[in-house]
Amino acid sequence: MGTVYITQEDAFIGKTDERLHVKFDKKTILDVPLIKIDGVVVMGRATVSPAAISELLERHIPLTFLTETGRYLGRLEPEVSKNIFVRKAQWQAVGESVQAIHVVQGFVRGKLKNYRNLLIRRQREFPDLDLSAYITRLEQAIAPIDTTNSINSLRGLEGAGSAAYFNCFHQLIRATEFTFTTRSRRPPTDPVNSLLSFGYSLLRHDIQGAIDIVGFDPYLGYLHCERYGRPALALDLMEEFRPLIVDAVVLSALNKRLLTPVEFVTEPLSHAVSLTGEGRKTFLRLYAQKKQSEFKHPVLGRKCSYQEAFELQARLLAKYLMGEIEKYPPLVLK
Amino acid sequence: MDDLEYIPIAALNQYIYCPHRCWRMFCAGEFIDNQYTIEGTSLHDRVHTLGEGSREETWQVRAIWLKSERYKLIGKADLIEVENGQWYPVEYKRGRKGEWDNDELQVCAQTLCLEEMTGQSISNGYIYYAHSHQRQLVEITNQLRQSAIATIQAVQTLLTTGEMPKAVKTKRCDGCSLFSRCLPGAVDKVGRYQEAT
Repeated sequence: MGTVYITQEDAFIGKTDERLHVKFDKKTILDVPLIKIDGVVVMGRATVSPAAISELLERHIPLTFLTETGRYLGRLEPEVSKNIFVRKAQWQAVGESVQAIHVVQGFVRGKLKNYRNLLIRRQREFPDLDLSAYITRLEQAIAPIDTTNSINSLRGLEGAGSAAYFNCFHQLIRATEFTFTTRSRRPPTDPVNSLLSFGYSLLRHDIQGAIDIVGFDPYLGYLHCERYGRPALALDLMEEFRPLIVDAVVLSALNKRLLTPVEFVTEPLSHAVSLTGEGRKTFLRLYAQKKQSEFKHPVLGRKCSYQEAFELQARLLAKYLMGEIEKYPPLVLK
Repeated sequence: MDDLEYIPIAALNQYIYCPHRCWRMFCAGEFIDNQYTIEGTSLHDRVHTLGEGSREETWQVRAIWLKSERYKLIGKADLIEVENGQWYPVEYKRGRKGEWDNDELQVCAQTLCLEEMTGQSISNGYIYYAHSHQRQLVEITNQLRQSAIATIQAVQTLLTTGEMPKAVKTKRCDGCSLFSRCLPGAVDKVGRYQEAT
């Protein structure tokens, strides 16, 4: 099972029997059985045949549209889950409820602990680095989380922790041709930021898929407030996964020199940076490999891939909100 | 309870198997197939083709709707037969007898409907096990009736309130197609889990 990414501009996406068929210039560029697909992401422009659309909806396979640089445009949503009880529990916890505060503590703690663990690991790998000051700052942001009972203050701790992490992020990049000063978005104006943004956008597609399967309303979140058209819950649940997946893929792509400056293009005037077609393919491959890589789930005690972990975490969140379990355990990995 | 919708006979079966699974299927609207459900469905595809006919002295009708106003039950019977003027239900099952004990209760629920529809009292039904090609007699005893009625009431309460019964981990969980959604072990595991500091 996996996500199909269609990066070829002006591709034609059709369906033949039980297979998804992608053509460009009258030549087949992809032909996969639909049973192996659990998501389709179109980057840039493509034509989707009516038969393919109804087949994807029928099979509950979401179709997401991103711009060619990876900005989220929208999504063709299969039928909403009938599990009204999950949505009801989700809505009942809205605001500053005990449950909302608990899960926000979990999202922020998960993210910051994974940031910290990533720094500790890098520090061990590269003894020339001195990240201790940043690790300390992260510790200082983590320590008060469980006794902080206002969502706004938790947002503050999240901000402080993220700032500490991104302040030393440039030290994690060992490839001298790339630099990083600060996180820039909309548009990202350097290669590292463009990779991070692209990666987060892919991650969001995957997390949104998982929370849809479980039956959540993706637009109601706890850490991220409601705003028109923003899948706040997907953004919430993404937090703990950001360092584990996207940051790890970005750093290894750069440090192993799987991506070099030739794979990036800069727009005139706006200075927006994006990947070339080849670079995008490389990055998508690395991201897909990461999602399939396995680890031992610390709570359930069994092997799982990150792809499965998206759904497991969403299910644990649903169980907590519905009162089946006493706490939401974010995915924290050493 | 006047406006209560009819409850599907199939829900009784699921409720005995696991009340939480019954809730997921009939309240939350979740269903996933696994090897066992697919086997069962293809068996029922063959059985559930409406038709009538005769087998020697027995008149048969397949795949008809059964309904009881008294118990607010509704469901489809695999096979109804009449022999010497006596009606009785025959339920088709994959596998063999004794895997779990809810099949008899389902036959009893069908009998309750059939009694109401024909005005006749019925004392026997059958289960046909596809694995052994054998028919098993089901005696509709008073005890069986009482437990069927109790289950009907429990399912009615479940469907009216929508309250979720707890997921309890048992040996049956291994064969359940909703295992990956229910994660029955999670309650204990999350309870024991200590997040690394």
